Amino acid sequence: MTDQRTPFAQPARGLAVATLRAGISGRTIIRRSLATPSTLVALLAASALAGAIAPSVASGGGLPGSAAPVSAAVDAEPHQALVGRYCVRCHNDRLERGGLTLESFELARPELAPEVAEKMIRKLRVGMMPPPGAPRPPEAEIAALADHLETTIDTVAAADPDPGRRPFQRLNRAEYRRSVEDLLGLVVDVEAFLPADTVSHGFDNVADVQGLSATLMEGYLRAAADIARRAVGDPGAGPAEATYTVPRTASQLERVPGAPFGSRGGVSIVHAFPADGEYVFRITLHSTPTGELFGSRAEGEQIEVSIDGQRVALLDLDPLMNEAAPAGMTMETGPIVVRSGSRRVSAAFPVRFWGPIDDLLAPIEHTLADTQIGIASGITTLPHLRSLAIGGPYRATGVFDTPSRRRIFTCRPTAAAEEIPCARAILSALAERAYRRPVDDHDLEGLLGFYRSGAAEGGFESGIRKALQAILASPHFVLRLEQVPQDAVAGESFRIGPLDLASRLSYFLWASGPDAELIATARAGRLGEPAELERQVLRMLGDPRASALATRFAAQWLRLQDLDRLHPDALMYPHYDQTLAASMRRETERFFEHVVRADRPVLELIDADYTFVDERLARHYGLPGVTGSEHRRAQLADEGRRGLLGHGSILALTSHATRTSPVLRGKWVMEVLLGSPPPPPPPDVPDLEQTEATAGGRALSVRERLEEHRSNPACRSCHRVIDPIGLALESFDVTGARRIRDGGVAVDTTGTLFDGAPLAGPADLRNALLKRADVVLTTFTENLLAYALGRRLEVSDMPTVRRIVREAGDSEHRFSAFVLGVVRSDAFCRSRLDPAGVAVADDGAGNDPARAHREGADR
Amino acid sequence: MILTKKHLTRRTVLRGLGTTVALPFLDAMRPALGHARVIDRTATEDPTRLVCIEMVHGAAGSNELGASKNLWAPAEAGRDFDLTPSSLSPLEPFRDWLTIVSNTDVRNAEAFTAREVGGDHFRSSAVFLTQAHPKQTESSDVEVGVSIDQLYAQRYGQDTPIPSMQLCIENVDQSGGCAYGYACVYTDTISWAAPTTPLPMVRDPRVAFDQLFGAGSTPDERAARRSTDRSILDWIVGEVDRLRRDLGPADRHRLGEYLDHVREVERRIQRIEQHNVSGEARELPEAPIGVPDSFAEHVELMFDLQVLALASDVTRVFSFKMGRDGSARVYPESGVNAPFHPASHHGGKEERVLDFAKINRYHVSLIPYFLERLRSTPDGDSNLLEKTLIVYGSPMGDSNLHNHKRCPLFLAGHANGALAGGVHHRAEDGTPMANVMLSLLHQLGLDDVESFGDSTAPFTL
Repeated sequence: MTDQRTPFAQPARGLAVATLRAGISGRTIIRRSLATPSTLVALLAASALAGAIAPSVASGGGLPGSAAPVSAAVDAEPHQALVGRYCVRCHNDRLERGGLTLESFELARPELAPEVAEKMIRKLRVGMMPPPGAPRPPEAEIAALADHLETTIDTVAAADPDPGRRPFQRLNRAEYRRSVEDLLGLVVDVEAFLPADTVSHGFDNVADVQGLSATLMEGYLRAAADIARRAVGDPGAGPAEATYTVPRTASQLERVPGAPFGSRGGVSIVHAFPADGEYVFRITLHSTPTGELFGSRAEGEQIEVSIDGQRVALLDLDPLMNEAAPAGMTMETGPIVVRSGSRRVSAAFPVRFWGPIDDLLAPIEHTLADTQIGIASGITTLPHLRSLAIGGPYRATGVFDTPSRRRIFTCRPTAAAEEIPCARAILSALAERAYRRPVDDHDLEGLLGFYRSGAAEGGFESGIRKALQAILASPHFVLRLEQVPQDAVAGESFRIGPLDLASRLSYFLWASGPDAELIATARAGRLGEPAELERQVLRMLGDPRASALATRFAAQWLRLQDLDRLHPDALMYPHYDQTLAASMRRETERFFEHVVRADRPVLELIDADYTFVDERLARHYGLPGVTGSEHRRAQLADEGRRGLLGHGSILALTSHATRTSPVLRGKWVMEVLLGSPPPPPPPDVPDLEQTEATAGGRALSVRERLEEHRSNPACRSCHRVIDPIGLALESFDVTGARRIRDGGVAVDTTGTLFDGAPLAGPADLRNALLKRADVVLTTFTENLLAYALGRRLEVSDMPTVRRIVREAGDSEHRFSAFVLGVVRSDAFCRSRLDPAGVAVADDGAGNDPARAHREGADR
Repeated sequence: MILTKKHLTRRTVLRGLGTTVALPFLDAMRPALGHARVIDRTATEDPTRLVCIEMVHGAAGSNELGASKNLWAPAEAGRDFDLTPSSLSPLEPFRDWLTIVSNTDVRNAEAFTAREVGGDHFRSSAVFLTQAHPKQTESSDVEVGVSIDQLYAQRYGQDTPIPSMQLCIENVDQSGGCAYGYACVYTDTISWAAPTTPLPMVRDPRVAFDQLFGAGSTPDERAARRSTDRSILDWIVGEVDRLRRDLGPADRHRLGEYLDHVREVERRIQRIEQHNVSGEARELPEAPIGVPDSFAEHVELMFDLQVLALASDVTRVFSFKMGRDGSARVYPESGVNAPFHPASHHGGKEERVLDFAKINRYHVSLIPYFLERLRSTPDGDSNLLEKTLIVYGSPMGDSNLHNHKRCPLFLAGHANGALAGGVHHRAEDGTPMANVMLSLLHQLGLDDVESFGDSTAPFTL
């Protein structure tokens, strides 16, 4: 940060300039007396309902205009004075701290400069302004100012709701995978087909950055071909090979979920066998750096290959295996006959002894984070599986009954005359699910064309397969197009069709297409009924598919994917491996899933006195009495462990390989929970690694090094805000384990929060967050709404966000209340037609992001 | 972990699963088929292959201290240069194929406005092959310039089944990858088909393999799959027309883009079929599996694929992004344990500058594997290294200061005789890297291109 900027300045300079939404000055502002929450609800509900009857009212085109109300100007006077006294000293035309001047900001008409107003609301609510050290008015006056800004803006917005718009979405990797699973009962590895999704503001489903390219088109085509073959089965399939690799840092001492009991390590996966026939299983083992079998001293080790729990091969390991030999570290089964369909294949080592291994020194959990560790003498090493490859089918004989086939072949032609009617029945059922709408004759004729050409080449099944391939590759399936009603007016908003609403709902809650019931409800025109909409939402939240809210929404909101890039130093943190990392991620997902399923208050995410752990993680946390690899609920006696901030996943993904990072942890809290990320660091600031790591002959703790770092004035303005948050969590190490010392120095978790509150550890930080509960809930809602809409939020969405939070307050902020708030909002139910004459080349027009940047440089 | 050479080669040996592909062009180039060769010598035949490789974060040698120690550019210009102190030293065995161009600047990666200050990591990659200045936006209205690989592919790549291919190593879906108001796509790709059209890069070697050589185990199966794909694409074109009617203007426009890409895939399939008419089947190595754990293994696998694709003339143009800005990856094989991005902020301290040079050297040390594979692949009466132009560089200079001066750049291969090799050109201070790229475009046959990015004049190579 340079001196000219205050903390948390957004880089945008133009924000101070009042941005006028076209035409807004000509409209009446509803008197404040109307703007109680309940009337707002009524007003919005009415406008939502009115959409079907009189769209022009809801879109606000026809309200009679008049000048700004006098009452608002009078009410705004004390606020204007407050801003003049406390804010303008820095945010004036001359200093323009943080690229912001409030000198000409009219408190009576904040809606004229919504970006500025929203920025003020954010900083005031979270307590970051005035900054530490500057004179501060009483909290009540700050709150009153924020209330005034919010009420005025929200009232104006309620009179003229803007649902926003986004270009059409396409199925991303996760949605494609889940849609196929729902359609065909088949789990596919989409990463093998589709390019990675571009992430915007933390989410991978943001429509306007979803690129279309020839590479993507080819990906959809190849996926369709492959999936159709696997689903229908392909007796003519040529041999192919699929390989499943085990990460080097996965523990192979314990049973892998899915593998037979009494086994250790290896791999267990569900593999789709395309046809009945012979398959060969090839197993590769890990070697030492010098090319011998890792763990060769353990004699008599074997590998068992099993299919659906049945042993099909038992291979003896040759301790003399060597990289230099022609076969290398690879072993192969003979041809094994397997029937088609998705089957669980495991290749694992039968356990040959039980009980603890009592080495003086041993790699913890016996992972191969560093093979050098394991090969010293005196250490019990066991062979580790590196990969399992499945090749085939050789000599395919036909196709057996599988769940996918049962789902597809709802009828069987017994005579030639029955073939077309049966094909018609099968294809219309498949297409209806895949297209998320009823199919018409034109749709069916196209598909029957593929059926006929396929059937001519290879019979009935081949015809169905070809038509299924076309369904999966078609724009009806991969693109989520939303229809514009005939009577829609350019530039105005309209209610989206019931089938489109059904798709929005299901991709929001399930990350997959709607089921038959939802489609039927939409077709019957009943999704517009508030009671029915609520019934459907609650039904969907109770469905197992709603786990997508945990594994997709929460995982992205909380940045769980960043866990993959942390590889803690193997010598400093030998306890950490892929198995533990996966278990941590699962903990957070299971925890969120519980909040969804049990409809808990959202703030429990911050302070729950329970979590979900398996044996490995329980050991890591020091929780007694948990055995086995299933996560189950555990009560937390440790105050500091409560809520998300006690989750190993969060603590690890905000760490570096060799040390904790209070900066990353502080930034994570500010960004993910408080919605106020710090600006990225300027390029030429010195790195923490550059501060001396030792002083007076002893190693410095991370805290001491940070303090050294902060003595640089260029850094201090931001880091005095960021660091105390992270330092409160210093009692957790890189892997999220409790610690009392860091580098030989007793851990010190004390500090002062940006709003002056003293912090002494995780519990204080948690309470500080709960004191700002509205900010946390607003941030949560912003993320939920952005994910639901598939677009970045704009300032014009903030009234909607606040309304959702307010209304959820009536139901103790339970999770379902937020979902219902999102689903009922105009932003979700309505869309806006592009104004006539707008250049269509720019799909993302008008999406100038009002929020501070979500992704920051990681220093 | 130490990776033995043997380990890698065994992964790529023939496994006899019957994977085959037609390799007509390669065979046509063989002396034994001299007659065919004469017939095939049309204007576009025997073209130069182009591979553009980006490494991020500049180099230790771009720093003033590093430059004085010759950590990147050798002290001597001309032919008698000494690579010993340089991160380029692993290229010594290939010095006859090496053309170092030092001391050029990538000015369009600098900040032009106050808002852009500090955003270098999120802007640079988009500049490398375009030498244009990216528009600061987080939305879909991204804009920079057409990249050099695409200019070449659009002119000379149209006869191969796939005009060009984009590969990368790092994941693109992690947070923290883009900020300062720049869309992630500027960091995710280096290839731009049009100023507003970024091309996605493929990270999974298996996906790249299937795209290059097609899915299916036998030539017949591939042909059958292609014909089904074509009929589906035909049908999609008709469906799109029907879908258009119910959409708003912006979505209708976007659907038009979708249709363009559908047509491009159709064209690719047609070209494969034209090639295969006279084709001969040849065994191919086993399709690779997923993304390897190790950085080196992944990079080498991507090189294997490129050699294979160039040898079989499936494509003639590759862009390959070996790093990602802001990456905290640790490269233990480099001998330095500091993560890449923190290490790049070496603060100008000697010890840390030298450490960063080791990381640069490690990255360069992966290139000889590629060069050797190209050299050992015969092409007509010569070999692929003779026919190929490899561009390796970084759009950043001194990563500690985020400047874009003295940026790393070298060329390898004889580019069909366009480059003599064995030379170090030291550019005048302030020479744009775009000048070198402009000359390369001329050497590649695009002599009608008058300027490229911020070029001021061609650079004499």
